[in-house]
Amino acid sequence: MIEFSHVSKVYRGVRALDDVSFTVEPGSVTGFLGPNGAGKSTALRVLVGLSRPTSGSATVYGLPYDTLGNPGTRVGVLLDAGALHPGRSGREVLALGATTLGLPGSRVGEVLDLVGLTGQEARRPVGGYSLGMRQRLGIGHALLRRPGTLVLDEPANGLDPQGIRWLRELLRHLADSGCAVLLSSHLIHEVEQVADHVVMIGRGRVLAQGPVAGLGGGRSLEETFLALTSDTDRSAA
Amino acid sequence: MTSIPFSRLLLVETRKLFDTRSGKILTAVLVVLTVASVVGRGLVAGPRLFTLTGTAGIGFGVLLPVLAILAVTGEWSHRTALTTFTLEPRRARVLAAKFLPPLAVTVLAALCALLVAVPTTAAVSAVRHVPADWEVSPLALLGWVATLVLLTAMGSALGALSLNAPVAIVVCLTNTILWNVVGRLGEVGRFLAEWFDLGATTAPLSTGAMTGGDAVRLATSILLWIALPAVLGTLRVTRAEIG
Repeated sequence: MIEFSHVSKVYRGVRALDDVSFTVEPGSVTGFLGPNGAGKSTALRVLVGLSRPTSGSATVYGLPYDTLGNPGTRVGVLLDAGALHPGRSGREVLALGATTLGLPGSRVGEVLDLVGLTGQEARRPVGGYSLGMRQRLGIGHALLRRPGTLVLDEPANGLDPQGIRWLRELLRHLADSGCAVLLSSHLIHEVEQVADHVVMIGRGRVLAQGPVAGLGGGRSLEETFLALTSDTDRSAA
Repeated sequence: MTSIPFSRLLLVETRKLFDTRSGKILTAVLVVLTVASVVGRGLVAGPRLFTLTGTAGIGFGVLLPVLAILAVTGEWSHRTALTTFTLEPRRARVLAAKFLPPLAVTVLAALCALLVAVPTTAAVSAVRHVPADWEVSPLALLGWVATLVLLTAMGSALGALSLNAPVAIVVCLTNTILWNVVGRLGEVGRFLAEWFDLGATTAPLSTGAMTGGDAVRLATSILLWIALPAVLGTLRVTRAEIG
């Protein structure tokens, strides 16, 4: 379970997050939807302790993330699929994670199978990976320990249609088995198809939140989103 | 809640030194350079064990601080700090696990140089029909290893302070030149070089003859080049916004 409680973040004079509050319940997928620069990544970094909130608090299982001891055993996190050492092999990236979490080396092969990377691909340096392959690797890294809470920042970026479908089914399956999934995205249709709940954010503020079905009050999710974020629309500025 | 054992962090951070392409290349260069410099010096300087061993140190003094710098700064240049500090949010523990392996590697490298130098000394002595000089003062050997360890530690400390590989590498490698210049700037320059040039203050270590004054000067330069940047760097890393 994830809880944001009145989180504000002022960074270099800019209010990146402004009184953000929402929760992600176990057994559900929450889509965190907002235009580029709306504060999604900042919120997720505050959640996992990489960034300190100016006020308010974000917790996982009711505790600040950095007090979880070995947080990777309970929370799977993918913040940026591009943040990899280009000279390290995909298999090695997973092996380092598995070692840190205290998992047997055999888990690496299982995860590679799960995310659909072949043994040959996994032995290559990630510098040569496509963005889609990096996303699969990063998702695999987040799933090393079958976490009860999953945090993914733009995991569908760079995935091909098969990959997007695979991700959708994977997240659905995880949520159905009790996992609390927080998925950030700027792709409305992707969120619409997999999420149970949606939190819309623009300029650091939560603009709307609720179940996917009832959020727009008759309007499509896309129309609602565009109407709510019109003041952050670059073309209208 | 059970935290990650420090031994596991050490294992992971040690592995990270050697599991990338650049890490493997650096290791290969280190091995080749050790053998080449010891054997090469043996052919020129004759069968003197300590002289041959010490030759490898010239390369170590450059490559091992670079290894230590990259261990810390790589997390920033490739943004892997996002993953590293998400798995272990107590960043000071991660930094400690990053500082120690390069120091151990330095001690191991020094031992390897000695191991290469023994048969080289014997072989050169046999081929040239010159009596071998096996004389090694344990104190001088220890001082030599300590000097190398200090240089590596300086790499880690400057890496953590700058979080920028090129800056830390340039500062480390131009240190000798800088002090050469400073030492020529009259009375004040000479005084500064005498107290703060790690190259000069560690010199008595390798001769095995250290006076009380030498020890104070060594401690002062360690404070300036290792302790201070390590502390400031740790503060910087623990407080930084990782993004």
